[in-house]
Amino acid sequence: MPLILKTTRFIEAQIDTFLDIVSDSAMMFQLAVDDYLNDRIQQFEERLSQIRDNEHRADDLRVGIERFLYERTLIPENRGDVLAILENTDEVIDNMKDSLLQFSIEMPVIPEELDDLWMQTTKASVAAVEQLVFAVRSFFRDLSAVNNYIHKVYFFEREADHIGEKLRRQIFAMDIELSRKSQLRFFAIHIEKISDYAQAVCDRLSIYTIKRQL
Amino acid sequence: MVFIYLLSGLFLGWSFGAKDTANIFGAAVETKMISFKRAAHIAALFVTLGAVLDGSGPSQTLSKLGSVNALGGAFTVALAAAATITIMVRLGIPVATSQTLAGAIIGWNYFAGKLTDFSSLAAIGSSWILAPVLGAIFAAVLFYIFRYYLSKVQIHMLEQDFWTRFWLVIIGAFGAYALGANNIANIVGIFVPVNPFKDVNIPVLGMVSGVTQLFLLGSLSIVVGIYTYSFKVMKTVGKDLFNLSPITALIAVLSESIVLFLFSSKGLHDLLVSLHIPPIPLVPVSASQIIVGSVLGIGLAKGGKNIRYTMLGKISIAWITAPLIAFFFSFVALFIVQNVFEQTVNVESRYVFDRTTIEAIEKLGYDSKYLSTVNGRSFENELALYKELKAYSKFSKDQLLDILATTELYPMTVDSSKLLHHKAKFSSEQLQSIATLEGKQFRHKWQLAQALERHACWQPKALARTKKAEAYNHNLRNLMDTLYSSFYKAGIAK
Repeated sequence: MPLILKTTRFIEAQIDTFLDIVSDSAMMFQLAVDDYLNDRIQQFEERLSQIRDNEHRADDLRVGIERFLYERTLIPENRGDVLAILENTDEVIDNMKDSLLQFSIEMPVIPEELDDLWMQTTKASVAAVEQLVFAVRSFFRDLSAVNNYIHKVYFFEREADHIGEKLRRQIFAMDIELSRKSQLRFFAIHIEKISDYAQAVCDRLSIYTIKRQL
Repeated sequence: MVFIYLLSGLFLGWSFGAKDTANIFGAAVETKMISFKRAAHIAALFVTLGAVLDGSGPSQTLSKLGSVNALGGAFTVALAAAATITIMVRLGIPVATSQTLAGAIIGWNYFAGKLTDFSSLAAIGSSWILAPVLGAIFAAVLFYIFRYYLSKVQIHMLEQDFWTRFWLVIIGAFGAYALGANNIANIVGIFVPVNPFKDVNIPVLGMVSGVTQLFLLGSLSIVVGIYTYSFKVMKTVGKDLFNLSPITALIAVLSESIVLFLFSSKGLHDLLVSLHIPPIPLVPVSASQIIVGSVLGIGLAKGGKNIRYTMLGKISIAWITAPLIAFFFSFVALFIVQNVFEQTVNVESRYVFDRTTIEAIEKLGYDSKYLSTVNGRSFENELALYKELKAYSKFSKDQLLDILATTELYPMTVDSSKLLHHKAKFSSEQLQSIATLEGKQFRHKWQLAQALERHACWQPKALARTKKAEAYNHNLRNLMDTLYSSFYKAGIAK
């Protein structure tokens, strides 16, 4: 049996590895933000470089999976949906990398009193991405669980928006230069956007789940 | 000339291949689980294997309807059915071959003034309703089972895809094999008695009989139909009626196979009888109608919202009109072939009521007082005779059929040399008993049968309850049919 399912199991493993990378990148993103806020810049740069590697690996895996699915005409009915999910999930990693890269380039000075809200926003966004990974895994194996995870993604996205708004209000309430306020707002929005991307993937995923149900 | 006649059989085979492959692979191809090319390769291989290795004699139900007794008639009947099916294939509608062929045969019956067995016709007609309903019920039940099972097993999407594809191919291959085995008789079965092919000894393969070669040719015509024209009907089955997904495609094909198996498997029927379980009646059901019913059943199980009812209406109308069109084509074509091309489409039969036949009827235990109106007369039209006897007597239908069989004039001269190609079918005792009658002439089939029954090897087993005895008697009837057709000599003893 394992022999005749060799190709199938190989692609399954590729998809699982891809999702592992997304999950790893999300956790890495959280640690990197923590490093940045605590001035561990050297460690922050290392994590950025790891996320960059992850992004490349995820791209390669995605392209490989796409080619396999099309060349072997696998899951003809769901092929387009699966590819859309993988491409959109891949964009979540791109966004996390872009966000960290912006930190690395601009090196914004974040006032210490914002650390807590900053970290909370990051955690909410990362939690949304982690739930997204669960949802995508369930889409492949256990359709009945998908909606449960999608619900959690929506919850964390709202949480990230809510805390992010608080963060931005606090930024503009502070007695600092307008240019700095504007720069900090840009970074806060960037972090919030990560959960927005996770939510966008879930919007598609819920439709694809309905399509897959018998 | 035989080869020209055979062309209409091959045309029928072509239209059949174009239509029936869709029943098996249409859903799989349209859901892109199997490419058309691969489906065509598998269908071609297994249809040929089924026809050559397991091809059976003429279909029982169809032969009951009426036996076309002249090659020109067989040619025209096949042509009419093939033309009708081709029109339906062009419209992308899967119609039942057996029903279309039945329409064409009834056309011949009317043209030739032969009796139509309306009980067999009713059995075929009932499958118009029965087949789609059964298909729909089975598909809906399977749909719920699959939905429950898939929600429990948590199988990966890719593995589910693999197994769906795997079973679509396996069921498709079995379906194609059964298609070839069961239907080759519909296509070239009528040409078996006039088979132009001789037995050939091929090294390694051994003796390849003429019938096998004929079946091979028939299966090749199906294969050509598969490759050249089956794509359109596939679209109807897989997409036009209801948008199937790979899993629902599998359910549809599975439902079709189960229903076909339950209602046409003699093996299962016998097994249930031997276990004293009430058997499932052997009803002739159409694969085309079951698959349409199955797709419909799935659509209804899913809520019935996305079924294209206009397409369904079109299909339903075509199911009724196809046999009628075939009937009309057949009748008109027979007229043209007989009067314009001067071909024999019907061997004239005569029914004589003389001392011999009246005595034979009395021996059957039937009251001859009802025969006073026909005594001394002869009839050329079976239908007219049947109607007359029915009007002036109290005989039952079966009794009337017995009387027709007894009075039918069928002149024969026993000539062992005519059995050269059939020798292998007979035992040495049977051949010896035939030799004792060498040169003798008979006017009726029953006379030859009676003469042979003096020998033990020609006596049917009286209590044909067991499977073995039934098979023995069936074989004996087939052998008698071979003798009748081999010894027939038109023009003598009239």
